[in-house]
Amino acid sequence: MGLQAYLVLSAVVFCLGLFGVITRRNTIGILLGVELMLNAVNINLVAFGRFRGDLAGLVFPVFAIAITVAEAALGLAIVILLFRVRRTVMADHLDLLRG
Amino acid sequence: MTGTLATTLAPEIGLFVLAVVVLLIGVIQRGDQKRVVGWITGIGLLGVLGSTLRLVEGGSVGDGMFVNDGLAIFAKQLLLGAGVISILGSLTLGHASFSRRSAEYHFALLASLLGMMALVSARDLLLFFVAFELMSIPLYVLTGFLKRDEATSEAALKFFLVGTVSAAFIVYGISFIYGVTGSTAIDTIPRALAEGQPLTWLGMGLMLVGLAFKIAAFPFHMWVPDVYEAATTPFVAWLAVAPKAAGFVAIIRLYVAGSSASDTWLPVIVALAGVTTVAGNLMAIPQRNIKRLLAYSGVAHIGYMLIGLAALSDSGVAMVLFYLVAYLFGNMGAFMVVEAVARSERSEGIDAYAGLAQRSPLLALAMLIFLLSLGGIPFVAGFWAKLYLFLAAAEKGLYGLVFLGAVLTVVALYYYLLVARRMYIDAPVCSDRVRVPGLLGAAIATCAAGVVGIGVYPAPWVDLVKRVASALF
Repeated sequence: MGLQAYLVLSAVVFCLGLFGVITRRNTIGILLGVELMLNAVNINLVAFGRFRGDLAGLVFPVFAIAITVAEAALGLAIVILLFRVRRTVMADHLDLLRG
Repeated sequence: MTGTLATTLAPEIGLFVLAVVVLLIGVIQRGDQKRVVGWITGIGLLGVLGSTLRLVEGGSVGDGMFVNDGLAIFAKQLLLGAGVISILGSLTLGHASFSRRSAEYHFALLASLLGMMALVSARDLLLFFVAFELMSIPLYVLTGFLKRDEATSEAALKFFLVGTVSAAFIVYGISFIYGVTGSTAIDTIPRALAEGQPLTWLGMGLMLVGLAFKIAAFPFHMWVPDVYEAATTPFVAWLAVAPKAAGFVAIIRLYVAGSSASDTWLPVIVALAGVTTVAGNLMAIPQRNIKRLLAYSGVAHIGYMLIGLAALSDSGVAMVLFYLVAYLFGNMGAFMVVEAVARSERSEGIDAYAGLAQRSPLLALAMLIFLLSLGGIPFVAGFWAKLYLFLAAAEKGLYGLVFLGAVLTVVALYYYLLVARRMYIDAPVCSDRVRVPGLLGAAIATCAAGVVGIGVYPAPWVDLVKRVASALF
C-alpha cells in the first residue's frame, strides 16, 4: 500500500469523527467523535514518518496520544460532573446559557 | 547570541517551580488556603515578570526549537502582566469552594500560563502543539471550577468540546506540514509554501481554523459568551486577553512574519476580519448581561486586530501588539468593575448599573474610562490603538476594511454608551455605596492607570511595538 492509501484512510476517519461531533446528541458520542479525529492525526503522522524514514513522525504520536488521554479524562470528568448536577448527558438539554 | 539553558528559560523555570510550590501547599495545608496561595502566586508572578526584563533577545534552546525573540519576550510580559492583574482580582473572591480549592485554581492558572509562555517562543511544531494543549486544558478546568453550579459545568463542556475539536484541526494540519517538509521546524514552512505543494496549503488552512477557534474569530466564537457568563469574573478577565494574545502571536509567527507566501493569506484574513468585526458588534447590541456584552464586544475587538494583521506589514503587526496592550487594560478593567458590582448587587445584568455614578462615583468613572477606551474615544488607550491600526491597514490600501471598522466603531460606541447612560443618567434603585474590596480596587486602579497613561502618552509603547515588529520582517 502506498502513502496515499494511509492518507485517505486518515481523512476518512477524521471526517467520520467530525461528522460524529456535529450530529451526535449524546455528549459521550461527541467525545468519541473527537477521539476519532485525534486518532486520524496519528495515522497520518505515523504514515508520513514511515514513508520518509524519519523518527519525528513516530515520536510525535507518542506526545499526541499522551495529550489526548489527558483531554479524554478531563472531558469525561466534565460529563460526569454535568450528569451529577443536571441529571442528563444530552447536548439538547444544555440550554441554560443562551442569548 | 545564544544564552545558556538557565538564562534563556529563566521565566519558564521560575513559573514551573512556582506552580509546583502552589500544588504542594495545596496538598499540605487543609482548610482555608486562599490567602497564602493567592499571595504566593501573585508575588511569584511579579518575580517571574521581573526575570523577563533580563532576558537576552535571541537566546535559543534545543537547536532553535525555543527562541526568545523580541516578539516572544514582549508577549511573555503581556501574559504575565495580565496574570498579575487577574490574581489581584481573584484574591478577594468569596466562594466557599474557592477558598477550599484555591491551590487547584492557582495551579491550573499557572500551568496554562506556562503553556502560553512556551507557545509564544515555540519554533517547532511538536513544541507548538504540546504548548498549545498545556495552555488549553487548564482553561477548561478553570471554566468549570465552581463545580456545583449548573451553568458552569455546561459552559465548561461547551468550551471543552470546541477546544478539543480545534486542537484536532491544528494537529491534523501539523501532520500534513510535517509530511511535506519532513521536519517539525516552523522555519521550513515558507519554503514549502513557495514550492506550492497542495498538502502544505491544506495543513496551514486546517491550522488556521484551529487557531481561529482559539482567538474566537467569527464563526468560531460560539463558546465565548457562554464561557464568559458562567465562569468566575477575574478568570474571565484573563481568559479574554491572555489566550488570545498567545493565539495572535502564533498566527503572526505562522502566517505573517517573514513568510514570502503570506500574501496568499490576505483574502482569508480580510474575510475573517470583516465578518468578525461585523458579527461581534451587531450581536453585542441586544445583550442584557454585561459579561455577554463584553464577550461579544471582545469578538469585535478580535476582528479589529485581524484588520491590523491583514495589513501583513511590520506596522500592521506592531499595531496589533499595541492594540493587545490597550485591550488588556481596558477589557480587564471593565471585567474587574463587573466583578465589584456583581459582588455587591448579586447581578450581572446591565440594570444593576443604574445610577452607579451617584452611588460610587469613582467606580462609575473607572467603568466609563474603560468603556470609552474599548469604544475608541480620544485620550484613552483604545483611541490610539484603533487609530494606528486603521492607519497601518490604510497604508496597505485596505480602505474597505478600514471604512467598515470605522463605521462599526460607532455601533460599538452605541452599546458602550448604553451602559454609561445607565450609570450616569438613570436613577439608582438604592443609594448605598458599592463596596469594593481593596485588592480588587487596586486591580481596577492599575487598569485605569494603564488606560489613561497610554492614552496621554502612547509614544514609548508605540516605539516598543515597532521595534519588536520590525525585527520580524
